[in-house]
Amino acid sequence: MSRLDRWFEGLSRQSARRVSRRNWLSRFGGVLVGGATLPLLPVARAAEKHTVGEDGVKGRQGDPTRCEYWRHCAIDGFLCSCCGGSHTACPPGTEMSPVTWIGTCRNPADGKDYIISYNDCCGKTFCGRCMCNRNEGERPLYHWYRNNDLNWCGGAKTQTYSCSTAIVVKTAKEAQPEK
Amino acid sequence: MKLVIACAFALVLASAARADAYEEHDYILSCSGCHRMDGAGSNVVPSFEGLRELADRPGAREYWIRVPGAAQAPLSNARLAALMNWLLERFTGKAPAPPYSAEEVSRLRSKPLRDPIAERRRILAPN
Repeated sequence: MSRLDRWFEGLSRQSARRVSRRNWLSRFGGVLVGGATLPLLPVARAAEKHTVGEDGVKGRQGDPTRCEYWRHCAIDGFLCSCCGGSHTACPPGTEMSPVTWIGTCRNPADGKDYIISYNDCCGKTFCGRCMCNRNEGERPLYHWYRNNDLNWCGGAKTQTYSCSTAIVVKTAKEAQPEK
Repeated sequence: MKLVIACAFALVLASAARADAYEEHDYILSCSGCHRMDGAGSNVVPSFEGLRELADRPGAREYWIRVPGAAQAPLSNARLAALMNWLLERFTGKAPAPPYSAEEVSRLRSKPLRDPIAERRRILAPN
């Protein structure tokens, strides 16, 4: 124990003799600022593409405010990510409908199919921004559990449709039968 | 050592068996949108809690396959049979005995109910 003490004492005395306090401060400040700016470099941003997304899905996340985003493969409505919410959360003042329609979309980053739940957000007048109508694997009204022209706000407290989310439920074992 | 190898072999077999199981996948894709993940339903869709009061009543076994949600589900007879065996065990605490077979499901779903609510009332009516 005393050996360790002596070693540290020697080390700190030595650095006190050699390094000025201002020098230490400037070095320490450099490390702090440098560390904080490192993720802003393009290299760091490119590496981020292969990290895990907010709901645990690996791979390129893409832009959830765009209709082309992979999770929107069968959506029909206004994207909540353009309306003050996100692709997994409703905008303030709206309620997520408990009933929804569910399908699968293929994530181009890993080539896997994922089960997507298109919960509608209800309670405020329609958002009107980022209309997206892709309907891949969607079926007519008589096939209602794969239909998106129904007002899925039916299960919520108010039936006013505002916008739609696209939530990953889990990895699919296969694509939905309509694809 | 032999025991360890036997155990490892059994584990591999068990995981291979689960890899072929589609019950949860089919439940999420074909049931949970309306009946919800926990089966609670909503003000427009019945709760799976209601399955309990039908359990053991004559006619319930046939009714459960003939209701629109089951009979019209985009699933093969074998997959629907497996799903219903799994679903009934989950929500009534007791697996159907004997388990539904693909043949039984095929026979029942070919006769869909015209009025499921009336049929449910009939099953629940005291004799």
